[in-house]
Amino acid sequence: MNAPTDATKMRYAVAVDTGGTFTDVSLFDRQTGRNWTAKAPSTPDDPSMGFMDGIGLALEQAELTPGDLAQVFHGTTVATNLILEGKGAKVALVTTAGFKHVLEIGRQDIPRKVNLFAWVKPKRPVPPEQVFEVPERLDRDGTVLQALDEQAVRETARELRAQGIQAVAVCFLHSFTEPKHERRARAIILEEHPDALVSLSSEVLRVFREYERSMATALNVYVMQAVTQYVANLQQRLADTGTAAPLLIMKSNGGVVSAPEVQRVPAHTALSGPAAGVVGARFVGGAAGYEDVIGIDIGGTSADICLVKDGQYTVSGNGRVGEWPLSFPMLDIHTVGTGGGSIARVTKDGALTVGPASAGAVPGPACYGRGGGEATVTDAHLLLGHIPPYLLGGGMQLDVEAAKHAMAEHVAQPLGLEVEAAARGVIAISNNDMVGAIRVISIERGHDPRDFALVAFGGAGPLHGVALAELLGARTVIIPPHPGVLSALGLLVSQLRTDYARTCLQAPPDYNVAQIAATFGELEAEAEAWFERENVPPSARKLSRFASLRYRHQGFELRLPWAGEIVDGGSVDATLEAFHLLHEQLYTFAQRDTPVEIVTLHMVAEGHFDQIEPAEWPSGGSLSDAVMDHLPVSLAGGRQEVPVYDRMKLAAGTHFSGPGLVVQLDSTALIPEGHQVSCDRFGNMIVAIGDKD
Amino acid sequence: MEAGYMAEPVCDAVTLDVLLGALRATQGEMEALIERTAMSPFIREKKDFFVALFDPDGDLIVGAYRPSAGDPVRPIFGHYPRQTMRPGDLYWYNDCYGSLGSVSHSPDQVFLAPVFSNDQLLGFAQSWAHFADIGGMRPGSISPDCVDIFQEGIIVPPVRLAREGEVNEELLRTFFRNSRFPELIKGDTRACLAALRLGERRIIELAERFRAEVVADGFRQLTARSERAAKARLRAIIPTGRYHFTDEIEQDGQGNGPFRIAMELRVDEDKVVLDLTGSDDQAPGPINYLLNPAVPRAMLGMYLLAGDPTLPLNTGAGRAIDEVILRDGSLLQPRWPAPLGQRGLTMMRLISATMGLVNAAGGESTAANCPYVIYFARGLDPDGIPFLLTDGVGVGYGARPFADGIDAVYYIAQENYPVELMEHTFPVRLRSYGINRDSGGPGRWRGGCGVVREIEILAETATIAIRIDGASSPAWGVGGGINGGSGRAIVNPGRPDERELDPLSDGNELRRGDLLRLETGGGGGWGHPFDRETEKVLADVRGGFVSRAVAEEHYGVLLTGDGLAVDEAATQNFRAGNRPVVDGLFHRHGYRDQLT
Repeated sequence: MNAPTDATKMRYAVAVDTGGTFTDVSLFDRQTGRNWTAKAPSTPDDPSMGFMDGIGLALEQAELTPGDLAQVFHGTTVATNLILEGKGAKVALVTTAGFKHVLEIGRQDIPRKVNLFAWVKPKRPVPPEQVFEVPERLDRDGTVLQALDEQAVRETARELRAQGIQAVAVCFLHSFTEPKHERRARAIILEEHPDALVSLSSEVLRVFREYERSMATALNVYVMQAVTQYVANLQQRLADTGTAAPLLIMKSNGGVVSAPEVQRVPAHTALSGPAAGVVGARFVGGAAGYEDVIGIDIGGTSADICLVKDGQYTVSGNGRVGEWPLSFPMLDIHTVGTGGGSIARVTKDGALTVGPASAGAVPGPACYGRGGGEATVTDAHLLLGHIPPYLLGGGMQLDVEAAKHAMAEHVAQPLGLEVEAAARGVIAISNNDMVGAIRVISIERGHDPRDFALVAFGGAGPLHGVALAELLGARTVIIPPHPGVLSALGLLVSQLRTDYARTCLQAPPDYNVAQIAATFGELEAEAEAWFERENVPPSARKLSRFASLRYRHQGFELRLPWAGEIVDGGSVDATLEAFHLLHEQLYTFAQRDTPVEIVTLHMVAEGHFDQIEPAEWPSGGSLSDAVMDHLPVSLAGGRQEVPVYDRMKLAAGTHFSGPGLVVQLDSTALIPEGHQVSCDRFGNMIVAIGDKD
Repeated sequence: MEAGYMAEPVCDAVTLDVLLGALRATQGEMEALIERTAMSPFIREKKDFFVALFDPDGDLIVGAYRPSAGDPVRPIFGHYPRQTMRPGDLYWYNDCYGSLGSVSHSPDQVFLAPVFSNDQLLGFAQSWAHFADIGGMRPGSISPDCVDIFQEGIIVPPVRLAREGEVNEELLRTFFRNSRFPELIKGDTRACLAALRLGERRIIELAERFRAEVVADGFRQLTARSERAAKARLRAIIPTGRYHFTDEIEQDGQGNGPFRIAMELRVDEDKVVLDLTGSDDQAPGPINYLLNPAVPRAMLGMYLLAGDPTLPLNTGAGRAIDEVILRDGSLLQPRWPAPLGQRGLTMMRLISATMGLVNAAGGESTAANCPYVIYFARGLDPDGIPFLLTDGVGVGYGARPFADGIDAVYYIAQENYPVELMEHTFPVRLRSYGINRDSGGPGRWRGGCGVVREIEILAETATIAIRIDGASSPAWGVGGGINGGSGRAIVNPGRPDERELDPLSDGNELRRGDLLRLETGGGGGWGHPFDRETEKVLADVRGGFVSRAVAEEHYGVLLTGDGLAVDEAATQNFRAGNRPVVDGLFHRHGYRDQLT
């Protein structure tokens, strides 16, 4: 197999983003900058079929064969869906004797925003009868208090083999400090049960807090077999077509790795799909001249929100997937269950809610005429004229009457409103939910959303982008040339990336500079070994140091770049100073009278592909050529006729003012009045948000 | 008072829900700030803090879902009339008697910021947190040994902590000087104050976005909506009449007891009255619960709103009860300066008693929760530095007509200390931590199980205070469900020096190598255990929640020899011939209609 980065000289790269409804493909010619996009229906039973169909369609357009491909990039939701739908493997957890119910007890809390009389504790992915206790015990510093009972491990392994349980997670107390008991346990399990897939907590997530670490390890092995099989299928299908292009898969941290790395820790792909969108938003923003952007990816069932500051995205270690904590390095993506298919309902006490229930692709919104009887966000847009009554270039007619009926029955009548007012209400509620999500990743992280340009993408992003900017006070909205396939573009422009971290507790006044340097050295060695495995040439390697710090007695650390190229007293002081400043920025106060502890050191390893240049968009042609229709649209000032523009005919350099609709194959953009649109040389529509008054 | 509108509302239906979403987001932001910046493990890890937003009259609009908030804004008004407040002011207290029970033990600090937009008072932002130590008789401030409130730490009456942004540092220095762990509570105070500023900013932004009068009207409607819903539910489940429920607390930690909590609910055509005057006199020990009338209202309101997550639990929800009658000098309205520090167990009993009242009135409600367990360990760590471990230990909650009770839970939204955190932070080692088998009351729906937690002491000595309620009067079952199991604390189980601790006591001296084993109780069961699906019983046995013996004895479920399957034929046969007769609505050591 070709090494991925050696292949950067080759011409064609293809990216496949598998979503719930569609598989989006983007094919790119590195030499000419030309790119082709394709959409194939997703095939949830075997996603590799939709994957291959999509690639086939793109190759057909470009008149190429699989043999022309240099790399295949992929974003997947296989792991996410297994976790969210509770459909992973039967897993056994091996734990320290005395702590069998670590998953059942969890953190013993009822979530803050639920009613205790109504809340039911969610069923764990590993039931307690599949948790096996093994005598062993480490002290907090890793000293052995009780040796590993090897015989007990052996008997457990035999029992697992007898029960036919292959997926095995091992998590012992304090193994994040000293992993030797876990490693020995794995060796014994594999001796007795060679078919077992074993995940060690010290390898999956080497941080403290046993519930969170146990859960991450269990979820990793929960999805391992399916993800491994899926990746192997893709590789086989690719090989069958005669391509030698390596398969590179997006991880939750926004970087890609080769297939074997994904098979080692498959839970790292839990946010693979949305992460690709973040990378795409950063790329589009950067090309348009915006280093600070908020990405808003609105699909059928949810909106994924992310933030890019100074061209960098934020990696968080406190993520969740569904009900479960998953403390891996993940891009800070906040998901809210509001998308085009989200259903609007009125509770019996008169509250209007939108989502998280969704009409999905089938039956879909009422206006799709496939039997969906409930009112969705898409129906509301249709009734307000935000989308023309036809979709996909005239290929599909939308049923306005069905939308009206659904909106009247489920929203307007219960609230005592006119249908149009009800539709406006549905849009207002969904916008509000998205604003809440945007606040979480901006304001809660100390960023003012008014300082950011919004990149609106996903099929429904361009319908909401300008309204969200108005609500947030943002000044600019960027609508990329192909909003529906931006995630695929994100895959194309991604880098190889792996994050390494180790706990290295340093308390003042004696910061041990030598120990810090040694720990960074160990992380660097791990990273270099990975570079070798991925065949990244030295010139394409990049290492960045980070550290997580906190005030003494705090329970939450802030992660920030290590200040300085080397590790010495000066760089320690500079890092501490940067911590005080960041704490003040995020939380309004610094505590310079309080000692600061260094808790975790991180190394981010990136292997850089040659950067792709965005394709130039055709220029010339007049605005009037792009006007294809006039339609009545309900806006703040009432219903009015507005021009409908064909996106493909909006040439680079074109300017126009709202109101207007811009339609294209994969999306419709709504530009209310008062805002100025200009098309840049890459085909982005840059919307300058007008003042409110 | 019915909240209706003659005129067209200023805040339309959609804006109202937008406003609610924004207020809940604000609550989330404030909580995140406290969690990430606070310093005592009790706040940052266990999360014993709450935030809330209030209207200008002091009515709660949106806040954490908990049934123990009193009426925390109005106590300020007596000292600082609203017209004297200015933007940038901060107010603070922990004075239980001075706030008429709005806080009910002194470690809880209430911080409030009035919020103004163009000189108009829009409302208040509040943060509330349990501080680890504020002085008093022993480390941790509250002890079962306290005989008056002065022994439970420094008392801060409602004071103005900041005037127009200028913080009164002298006041804070005085407060910090009274703590054994000033560094922790200094950080916690900063976190709470920063959260207030954040809440203040968010409300002002809302007023700028929607106009102040729209926000004000939205606040009114949000309370009115919850009020309408709560009243309608109450009328739907409880017919007119008089209903009684009485339970008792075994002891006050100082050799006195039992103490009865007696509730009477009078539902007339036009008025609903909750009368608690039949409860016993106040206790010499610190189990007294200085009850603000808003508290029992919220307890019932929370239950009434359980079906609809879109309704905020606010002052409106409490208006399903028109009047609460209390008796001075009683357990629920003690006279100054009676000690209050252990009121948590009385509060938990009162929540369950409120559900008992609903059951007695014919509403199919939940079985009783087991009151949560807490212990304090204090001493010197091996480096000679004083430590204070305050560890909240989960219990089981009552089963419900639609689901099992919650296993291993502590009040609401309060987390445990991970084992690895315990061992890194305190001179202890955990020997085990798991589900307390058979502690959940058997029923069609099983009561939640408590836990077993074994703590080995690594300090030279540690003085232990412990609070376990329900040793002889466990959580009751209902509708055929059996009572939950009891809790207990044993030192050195299985060794020659094994001893059981008084469940509500302080001054228990443990030495290095001693093992403290806590077994906490479970919730009551709901419905007849013979009606529970056999596969659920099997899963409970295999998961370590129910023993085989209890599966047979209480559930009538017989397993195959290897214990891996149900012997369905034998079970059917056994269940048909041995079904116990239910001859009382409640169950505690046998079926009965009255518990006391």
